[in-house]
Amino acid sequence: MKAIKIYAVVLILFAAGGCKKSFLDTEPVTSVTDENFYKTPADAFKALVGCYDGLQIVWSEGVALPVAAEVMSDNTFGGTGASDGFGYQMIDEFDKARSPSDQNVYERNWALYYKALYRCNMLISKMDQIQWGANPELRKTYESETRYLRAYLLFDMVRLWGNIPLLTAPSAENLPQANPDDVYKVIAEDLKFAAENMQGVTYTAQPVAERGRVTKYAAEALLARVYLFYTGYYAKTDLVGVVTKANALTYLEDVISNSGYGLLDDYANLWPAASLASYAKEDNKETIFAVKYTYTSDYNGNTDGNHWMIMTGIREQAFFPYGNGWGAETVNPKLWAAYSAADTRRVASITSIVDEKLAFTNQSKQREYTGYYAKKYSPMIDENGKPLPEGYGNTSFQIGQFQDYVSIRYADVLLMAAELGSANAQTYFNEVRQRAYKGAFTPLAVNQDNIMKERRLEFAFEGIRYYDLLRQGINKAAQEIAESTTVLNGGKSAEKKILAGNVIATKGLQQIPYTQINLSNGVLKQNAGW
Amino acid sequence: MKKNSIVKRERIFLLMFLSLLFFSQTLLAQQRQISGKVTGSSDGTPIPGAVVKVKGKTGGTSTSSEGAFTISAQTGDILVISSVAYLTKEVTVAQSNTINISLDDDNKNLEEVVVVGYGVQQKKLVTGATVQVKGETLQKQSTTNALQGLQGQTPGVQITSTSGQPGEAMKVNIRGLGTIGNSGPLYVVDGVLTGDITYLNAADIESIDILKDAASAAIYGSQAANGVVLVTTRTGKRGQASQITFDAYAGVQNVARKVDLLNASQYAAIMSEAAINGGKQPLFTNEQIAAFGEGTNWMDEMFSSDALTQNYSIGASGASETSVYSTGLSYTGQEGVVGGKSLSNYQRYSFRINSEHNFYKEIIKIGQHLTYTDIKNNGIGVGNQYNNSLRAAFGASPFLQMYDENGNFFDNSNSTWNNGEANPYAVMVYTNQNRRNSQRILGDVYAIIEPIKNLKIRTSLGMDYNAGESRSFTPIYNLSAYAYSTTTKASQSMNKGKSFIWDNLITYKFNVTTDHTFEAMAGSSAYQADGSNIFGTNTNLIFDDLDHAWLSNATGKEVAGITIGGRPDDPDRRMSYFGRLNYNYKEKYLINATFRADGSSRFSNQNRWGYFPSVSAGWVVTNEKFMESQKGWLDFLKVRASWGQVGNQNIAAFQYLAPIKLDNTNYTFGDKEGALTPGAYPIRLSNLGVKWETSEQTNIGFDANFLQNKFTLNFDWYDKTTKDWLINAPILATAGADAPFINGGNVSNKGIELGLTYRSNFGEFNYSVGLNGAYNKNKVGEIPTADGIVHGLSNQLFDNALEFYRAQSGFPIGYFWGLKTAGIFQNEAEVSAYRSADGKVIQPSAQPGDVKYADQNGDGVIDNSDRGMIGNPNPDYTFGITLSGDYKGFDFSVVASGVAGNDIVQSYRNQSSQYGNYTTRILDRWHGEGSSNTLPRVTEDNRNWTNFSDLYIQKGDFLRISNVTIGYDLGKVFKKSYLKQVRLYAAALNLYTFTKYDGMDPEIGYGSEGYASGIDVGYYPRPRTFMFGANLKF
Repeated sequence: MKAIKIYAVVLILFAAGGCKKSFLDTEPVTSVTDENFYKTPADAFKALVGCYDGLQIVWSEGVALPVAAEVMSDNTFGGTGASDGFGYQMIDEFDKARSPSDQNVYERNWALYYKALYRCNMLISKMDQIQWGANPELRKTYESETRYLRAYLLFDMVRLWGNIPLLTAPSAENLPQANPDDVYKVIAEDLKFAAENMQGVTYTAQPVAERGRVTKYAAEALLARVYLFYTGYYAKTDLVGVVTKANALTYLEDVISNSGYGLLDDYANLWPAASLASYAKEDNKETIFAVKYTYTSDYNGNTDGNHWMIMTGIREQAFFPYGNGWGAETVNPKLWAAYSAADTRRVASITSIVDEKLAFTNQSKQREYTGYYAKKYSPMIDENGKPLPEGYGNTSFQIGQFQDYVSIRYADVLLMAAELGSANAQTYFNEVRQRAYKGAFTPLAVNQDNIMKERRLEFAFEGIRYYDLLRQGINKAAQEIAESTTVLNGGKSAEKKILAGNVIATKGLQQIPYTQINLSNGVLKQNAGW
Repeated sequence: MKKNSIVKRERIFLLMFLSLLFFSQTLLAQQRQISGKVTGSSDGTPIPGAVVKVKGKTGGTSTSSEGAFTISAQTGDILVISSVAYLTKEVTVAQSNTINISLDDDNKNLEEVVVVGYGVQQKKLVTGATVQVKGETLQKQSTTNALQGLQGQTPGVQITSTSGQPGEAMKVNIRGLGTIGNSGPLYVVDGVLTGDITYLNAADIESIDILKDAASAAIYGSQAANGVVLVTTRTGKRGQASQITFDAYAGVQNVARKVDLLNASQYAAIMSEAAINGGKQPLFTNEQIAAFGEGTNWMDEMFSSDALTQNYSIGASGASETSVYSTGLSYTGQEGVVGGKSLSNYQRYSFRINSEHNFYKEIIKIGQHLTYTDIKNNGIGVGNQYNNSLRAAFGASPFLQMYDENGNFFDNSNSTWNNGEANPYAVMVYTNQNRRNSQRILGDVYAIIEPIKNLKIRTSLGMDYNAGESRSFTPIYNLSAYAYSTTTKASQSMNKGKSFIWDNLITYKFNVTTDHTFEAMAGSSAYQADGSNIFGTNTNLIFDDLDHAWLSNATGKEVAGITIGGRPDDPDRRMSYFGRLNYNYKEKYLINATFRADGSSRFSNQNRWGYFPSVSAGWVVTNEKFMESQKGWLDFLKVRASWGQVGNQNIAAFQYLAPIKLDNTNYTFGDKEGALTPGAYPIRLSNLGVKWETSEQTNIGFDANFLQNKFTLNFDWYDKTTKDWLINAPILATAGADAPFINGGNVSNKGIELGLTYRSNFGEFNYSVGLNGAYNKNKVGEIPTADGIVHGLSNQLFDNALEFYRAQSGFPIGYFWGLKTAGIFQNEAEVSAYRSADGKVIQPSAQPGDVKYADQNGDGVIDNSDRGMIGNPNPDYTFGITLSGDYKGFDFSVVASGVAGNDIVQSYRNQSSQYGNYTTRILDRWHGEGSSNTLPRVTEDNRNWTNFSDLYIQKGDFLRISNVTIGYDLGKVFKKSYLKQVRLYAAALNLYTFTKYDGMDPEIGYGSEGYASGIDVGYYPRPRTFMFGANLKF
C-alpha cells in the first residue's frame, strides 16, 4: 500500500514536470529562416535588393577600389595625413616594405566581396524553387540582374587580386585560387546571359524610381569593358571563347543605337562639386551603371553611404564647396599638365589650390601634398560650411556622404566602340572631345594611342585609368606609373619614388589578406611581390 | 492528492497521541532548576549562545556570554546541548543541581555536511571531488565580489579578474580551460540556476561548494561541463539562538603600480632617433629635446587617488519552535581608481529573506529564499584596443596638453605634432558619460513533504528576474582630427528577463539490515527563460548633460540621427529528468551513481536530448578493522574514484538555422535620397546537426586526517576531456556568410590538486596554516576546420595586427603563436652572416639594430612556417596560501594566491603609427653596436614590432598577498551579555605582488574572446586597498 502511494506521487510529479513536447519547440520571431524564404517573387525581389546592398557595401571598410585604382595609377599619389600609417604609400608604390604592419589592408574588402558574391550565388541557386507563377519574364529579369552583379563583383576582384577562389554556388570549403580564365568565363557568361535575356528598356522608358537597376545596356557595356581588359592584360584574342571582338563591338553599337543614353552637354555637370546648381543630378542620361549611395549610414549597422569619398577630400580643411577629408589621392601635377587649358575637363576634374586661390594652410597635416586634389568625388559643404550629409541630419561627414559612384558612363561606351574599330570610330571620338573642348575643339585622328590619352583625361579619378594602363601590358604600365619627384610631407619637401620594378614584380596585382592565407592553411597563395 | 492527505492525517494523529503520552508522564515527575556552564573542550572558553534543551520537550534556553545556563529539569532527564561549530552532547541529569558541560569542537569537519547537487551529503561520505568555502571566510576577504574572495582558497579553481573596474565579472576556470566557447561554470544559488553571482554580498553567503569532477557535477548534466558552483545563502538553523550581526568596512584604494612612460624629453629623443634610423634628419636638436621637460604624464592624469570602497551589512537570524529565519540588508560601494567616481563606480543594495516553516509536526516544510539586489554602476571602456579608455593613455604623446589656456580640455586638432591624437583623459570623460542600473530578484519557494520517515518529496519554484536600464550622453566636443562630436546625443535602453525553474524531487533513504544504507533520489526540472529589450538614440538635446540625457529631451528629427529598436530575447527552454543512488556499507564502502537526461530548445529536433551518466566509489580505509591500530596518527583516510560525463549547451538559440537578415539591408533606387528599398540575405550558414558538447572526466583522490585531525590532506588527480566543442570557428571569407556553430575539437586537461591544512595551538595561541596548489596541463586535440586550427582574431594588439593566438591540435588552448627571436643584429656583418644552410641570407633587408628571427625550418626565409608556440597564457600551477591565528581577543590572517608557468602578451603601443609613446623599457633599446641584444632599435615604421614575436611576451608568474587582516574582539573586554562580538579590524587588500611582469597587474583575465587570456592591451589594474572594519554580533 505504502509503495503504491509513493508511486502515485512520483507519477504525478513526473507527469506535471513532463508537460507536452512543444515545451521545447521554440521559434525565432524577428527573423525568417532559409527554410521559409525564397518562395515567392516578393522574396526573390528582397533577395535581389540584398545583392545590390552587397555591392553597395564592398567599399564601406578597408580600401575602396575606386580610391585604390587611382592611387595605383599614374594619376595620384597615396597621400593621407602626415601622421597616418603608410598603407596608402604601400599601395601606391607596390612595396610591402613601406608599411610592414599592413598585411591585411584588403581583408575587409576581400570578405565583403565574398559576402556580396554569396548573396548572388544563393539567389541564383534558388531561382528554380521560387514560384514565379504567371510571370516567367520576371525570373529572366531578376536572374539577369543577379548575374550581372555577380559578374561585376568578380571582375573587380579578379582585377584587384588576380588570383581568387571562384565560387558560383555557396560553399564553405577551402578552395584554392582559380585560373583567371575560369573566372573570366563566369563573368563573360553571366554578362552575356544578362545582355541576351533582359528587355531593352531605353533610358527614358525606365521609370525614375527604378533608376539604378541593372539594364541590358549596362550588361553590354560592362561586357565590352571586360573584353578589353582581359584581352589586353592577358594578351588574348577573345574573351575566353565566349565573346569575340566583333561581338563586343556589336554590344556597344547596340547601346549607342538603341539605349537612349547620351552625353551631357557640359562635362562639368557630371560632377556635383564642379557644377553645383547646374549639376545634372544622379542617374542622368550619361550614367549607364552606378553604385548608388544615400545618406542613411550610421554606426549601428546601416551601411548605405559612400564611405570612401571622405578619403579624397582636402586634408582637414574645407572651402565651399569642397568639404574636408583625409587627403588621399593627391593628384600628380603631371596629370594637371596633361590637360590643355582649353579642356573643360581640367577644372571639372581637379581642384588646384593655387588656381582656385584656396587658402589652404594644412600642408603640415598632409602627406604627399602636390597642390592638387581630385574634384569628381570630393566631400562637399554648403555655403554655411556644413557638410552636405548634415543637411539630411546625418552628423557624420565620414560615412554620411551619398554621391553615387558612376561606374560606366556613355562616354566610355563611345570610346570603347571607337577602340574596337567601329565604322563610326572617328565620330564617336569627336563627340567626346567636342564636348570637352567646346569651342576650342580641333579634330584629332582616331587611333589607339590617341584614344588611350583621351581616356586618361576623360576618366580621371573614375577608377578606370589604372586598368587602361594594365591592359597595355605590365611593362608599359610600369613605365607610366614609375615616378621620381618631390612632394611635401607634412610641409617638408621629400622624395617620392615609385619603382617600375615593383609594379612588374607584382604584375600590378595587390596583396591577398594574410589572415585569409592563414585561415586557408596555405591553400591560398600570396601574390608574387607581396 | 487525496491519498497524500490521508497519509498526513494518520501521521498527525499518531504524533498527537505520542505527545499526549509524553506529557502525562512528565506530570508525575519532580521539576527543579539545573544550572551550569558550557565551555569548549579544547580551550575551556565559555560558549555563549549554546542551546540547552531537555530531550523530548519543547522549549529550552541558551547560554549567556559567560556560557552559563539555568533550566528546569528532573532526575533522569536528558539535557541536549548544542551549539554551532561544536558537537552536540547529551547529558543525563543526576542528583546534582549543577552540570558543567564541555563541548568538543566540530573541527573534525568530517561530520560536516557539504552541499551537492539537489541535496546535501555528509562530507565523510562524499565520493566526488568538491571543495567548500564558508561564507565567513569569504566575508573576511572584504571583497566587493564574493568570487574574488575565493581566490587562493580553492585548489583547481582559477579565478581571475577580467578588469579592476568595480563590478566587473571574474573569469572562473575549474580544472583548466575546457572549451573555446563559454568556459564559465554553472552557478546554482539555493537551487536556482544562474550565470552570474556578482549580485551577492559575501555577508549573504553561508557557503560556496564547488563541484569539480564530472561525477559530482553530472547531476546538472548539460549545464555542468565547466563545473558547478553551488551557493547557499544564509538561513537560520534549528536550535540556533537569535542573533543580530552588523558588519562594516571602509577603505581607500590606490593604484598599486603605475607604468612608467617616456616623458616629453625622452619621447622627443626617441622620435628623433626613429627618424634618424629611417635615414631622415633629426627632428629636434639636443637643446630642443632638453627643453621639452616632463610634458604630460598621462598615467597620472588617468588615475584618481584614494577612491573609496565601503560595505555595510546587517543581518538577523534565529529559530523558533517551528520556523527558522535569516534576513539581511547590505550596501556595497566601490569607486574606480581610473577616472574616479564619476566615470567608474559601483553601488549595490541588497536584501535577503530566507525562512522555513514547519507544519503538521514537520510533515510539511515550506520555505523560501529571496534576494533582491539593486545595482547602480557606470564605467569606462575596458574591452579591446578600440574600446579601452585606459589604453589611449599609453600611446598619447607627452607633448599633448591636458588643458588649454581657458582650462578646457586641449583640442589637438590644430597641432603640428600628430593632430590625430586626442587627449585620452578627455576622450574618457566625453565618451563614458553613462549610468546603468539593474534590479534582480533571485529566489525560490519550496515545500518538502515527508509523509513517511526518510521519504521526502520536494517541489520548488525558482525565479531569476532581472531588469536593467542604461543611459548615455555624448556632448559636443573636438579633441583631434578624428575625435570629435558635432552634436549632442542621448541613448537609452531597457531590458528585462526572467527565468523560471520548477524542480520536483523525491528522495528515500533506507537501510537493508543495519549495514547497508541506500539513498535514492529521482527528479525532474523544467526551465524557461524569456526577456526583451528596447533601445533608442537621438540627437540635439535640449540640455547638455547626462542628467537630462533622456530621449524626450532629444529634438533631432532626421532619420539619420535616430536609432530605435526592440526585440525579444531568444526563448530558452529545458526539460530534465535525473536520478541518483547512494549506497554505503557500514560507511566503509561507498558507491554513488547518477544519471541525467536533458532536452534543450537550443538544438534541432534530431539532437535535442543529451544523456549524462556518472559513477563514483569510495573506500574509508580507516573504518577497516586492521586500521584501528593506526588511529592517533592516521585518523581518517578515504580513497575515492569517479567517472562521469557532463554536457555543455552554451550557444545562442537557433544556431541550427540559417536566418535571413532583413534589417539594415537596403538599396536606394531612383532619385530620392534616403528612400530605401528593403532587401534580405541569409546571414549565416546552417548546421542542423549541431549538438551537445560533452566533457568526460575521471578523478582519483583521497582525503586524510593525521595527528588527531590536526593535519588534513586532500589530493586529487583528474583527467578531463572535453569533446565535440561547440565552436563558432572563423571560416574562410569565401564562404560569404557567418560561420555556423559546429561540433568539433577536443581538449584534455590533466592535473593534480593538493590541499594541506595544519591546525594547532601553543597554549592560547591557535593557528592554522593552509597550503593548496594545483597543476594542470592543457592540450588541444583535433579540430575539424580546414587547417585543424581555430584562428584567433586579428586587429587585437594594434591596428592591423595579425593573428597571434590560436587553438591548435597538440598545443595548449589559446597559445601565443609567433616568431622566435634570436637577438639583435649588431652590425652589417651579422646581417650578411645570418644565412641558411644553403647560403641564403635570411633577412637581407635587415639593418643593424633590427631583430633577428629564428629560421625554424631552415629554408632561409622568415615566414609563417617559422611561427610557432612562443607562449602559453594558461598557468601550469595555481596556488594559494592561508595563514591565520588568534590569541585571546586578537586574530590575524593572511591570504596569498598566485600562478606560475604562464605568459602574458603586452601591447600598449599602436605599432601602425609612428607617434605612439613608449614605456621606459625602450630606453634600453639597441642604439649602437653592443647596446642591446634584446630590444631592437626604434624606427618610424615599427618594423621590429609588426611581426608578432617573443618581444611581446613576458612571464606571468606572480604571488599576490591579497589579504592581510588584523582584528581584535572587544567583546571579551566589554563582557556584556548582549554583546557577543565586537571585533574591529584593519585590512590591506592586494598588499603586494611578487612578479617579474612589468605591467601594472599580472592578473590579466582579459582576452580578445572567450578562450584567449593573458593579453594586456592596457589593463585596468586591481587597486591596493587599506581599510578598517567592524563585526558586531548581538
